[in-house]
Amino acid sequence: MDVALSKNGARLLRGFFALVVLFLYAPIVILLIFSFNKSAVPSFPLSGFTLKWYREFLSNSDLKGALETSAIVAALSSTGAVALGVLASLALTRRRFRGKSAVSALLLSPLVIPYVVFGVSLLLLFHTLGVPRSLLTIVIGHIVISVPYTILVLVPRLDQVDVAFEEAAADLGAGPLQTFRLVTFPLILPAIVSAFLIAFTTSFDEYAVASFVVGSRVTFPIYLYSALRFPTQLPQVIAVAVVVLVLSLAVVVAAELGRRVAERRLEAKA
Amino acid sequence: MAVTEAGSVARARARRRFRLPLATTGLLSLPLVWLGIFFLAPIAIVAAYSFNVYSLYPGAHGFTLSAWHDFLHGGVYLRLFWKSVKVSLIVSVMVVALAYPLAYYLALSGTKRKYVLLLLLIAPFLTSYLLRVLAWKVILGNQGVINSFLFSTGLRSPDHPISQLLYSRFAVMLVLAYIWLPFVALPIFVSLETLDRSLLEAASDLGASRRWAFLRVTLPLSVPGIFAGFLFVFIPTLGEFVTPSLVGGASGYLYGNQIVDLFGAGFPDWETGSVLSIFLLVVVAALTVVFSRFLRTGQVAAR
Repeated sequence: MDVALSKNGARLLRGFFALVVLFLYAPIVILLIFSFNKSAVPSFPLSGFTLKWYREFLSNSDLKGALETSAIVAALSSTGAVALGVLASLALTRRRFRGKSAVSALLLSPLVIPYVVFGVSLLLLFHTLGVPRSLLTIVIGHIVISVPYTILVLVPRLDQVDVAFEEAAADLGAGPLQTFRLVTFPLILPAIVSAFLIAFTTSFDEYAVASFVVGSRVTFPIYLYSALRFPTQLPQVIAVAVVVLVLSLAVVVAAELGRRVAERRLEAKA
Repeated sequence: MAVTEAGSVARARARRRFRLPLATTGLLSLPLVWLGIFFLAPIAIVAAYSFNVYSLYPGAHGFTLSAWHDFLHGGVYLRLFWKSVKVSLIVSVMVVALAYPLAYYLALSGTKRKYVLLLLLIAPFLTSYLLRVLAWKVILGNQGVINSFLFSTGLRSPDHPISQLLYSRFAVMLVLAYIWLPFVALPIFVSLETLDRSLLEAASDLGASRRWAFLRVTLPLSVPGIFAGFLFVFIPTLGEFVTPSLVGGASGYLYGNQIVDLFGAGFPDWETGSVLSIFLLVVVAALTVVFSRFLRTGQVAAR
């Protein structure tokens, strides 16, 4: 006898699971359907197949500009966040120092700050310093909110890596930078890649903080938000939505599979 | 005996950590300076603003509690805060109740594809937040998918759409639940996955029925996961303003929207806005500290 679930219980839960998955994916599928629908208003009955909305979005320079801006912001902020995250994670896993728990609490605290509060705070800071709002101000904010995610990915990986490798390198005369570059870095590379991806997608999708510190060049979420208020743009936005959703789902699945394969390979080597 | 063993393990670990020739300050200075300038300092400015110690506008600055006094005694903002608490509470409880059976199925049914199914469940969470809200706008509107479907099947006349679907508190709660459901399944799954199944076998051997074993063994042992899941939703939704402003309408207006509006273009009142912000921050910080042992980040923090 299975102690956790009866046969009927398992069947019931399987059905429930399928229903929830349906609930989670149905809205995405509905967007997919209406992105090919002729009518400018997304409603039933369907009015025929068209690729018009995809063509329009491909020739919409505002939208492409916003996607480009977001890509730049995400690339800069994820690079910054990973760099800070690697430094902090090395300190947390490889060093002993007083006040470590306070330091790690501070490093992780952006995880729980309400984004509306953080956005307001950054706005006041930049006003105080007289810094004009621009891409850079968004990048700064996104680095802050991404750093804890990179630490949460990097620290467990660094814990798995046997310190003996680094000690051996040091014994053989490698300096700290050389040890990191030749030993530690290759061993935690899968984690660095997934930290980078998490920071990138966090930034690419981030609206709340960006909305307070955005300058004249808008990011994709900011563009989306304002487009959601003008129904005439809705079909195009739906077409973009489908492209972005499908791409991000593909990236998520690929990243997860890639990470597993890479870590398995590294473990086999080690 | 055990004590000396533990002592030598600790010493060995200490030695290991000490041997790496990397300077702690060198590693920590950059991250800490960054967070100091762009995270702590901004919050300090907001706090100073809320006490009128600091203001961007010329005028008499002196420490005063008047904005705090108005906030705590005026009622309007606090009522809005309790409304937000209620909405977040309903959403969190609902989402945990829905996610628990999902996590239970994945962790304990013995299905071979549990990690594939888990990824299937979580993947929507990793896609664009705004676009998932957009999907619900398309679905719930007066001319939206649900209403137009009802019109075209003749179940409802086009003159009388179900108009309370969109721009309502219901819409806010539905969309928030939709957004957070996949994420909450994760901590519950982890707590059930690490559960020692032999405990259940022992309970069964000692004559406990499945239901009794669940109530006395599984459920209590998964409480940390339940709390973590609850907080994963409750904390971020408490200050939520994006979803309410897109699908909430007037009745879905929440505390976070009020903060945005106090800093917005209409009738800005940065001092009151700062009070509201700091209050929310204090509540969230208190929740985090009190329940920190249930949050997964505790594992990193505890080292």
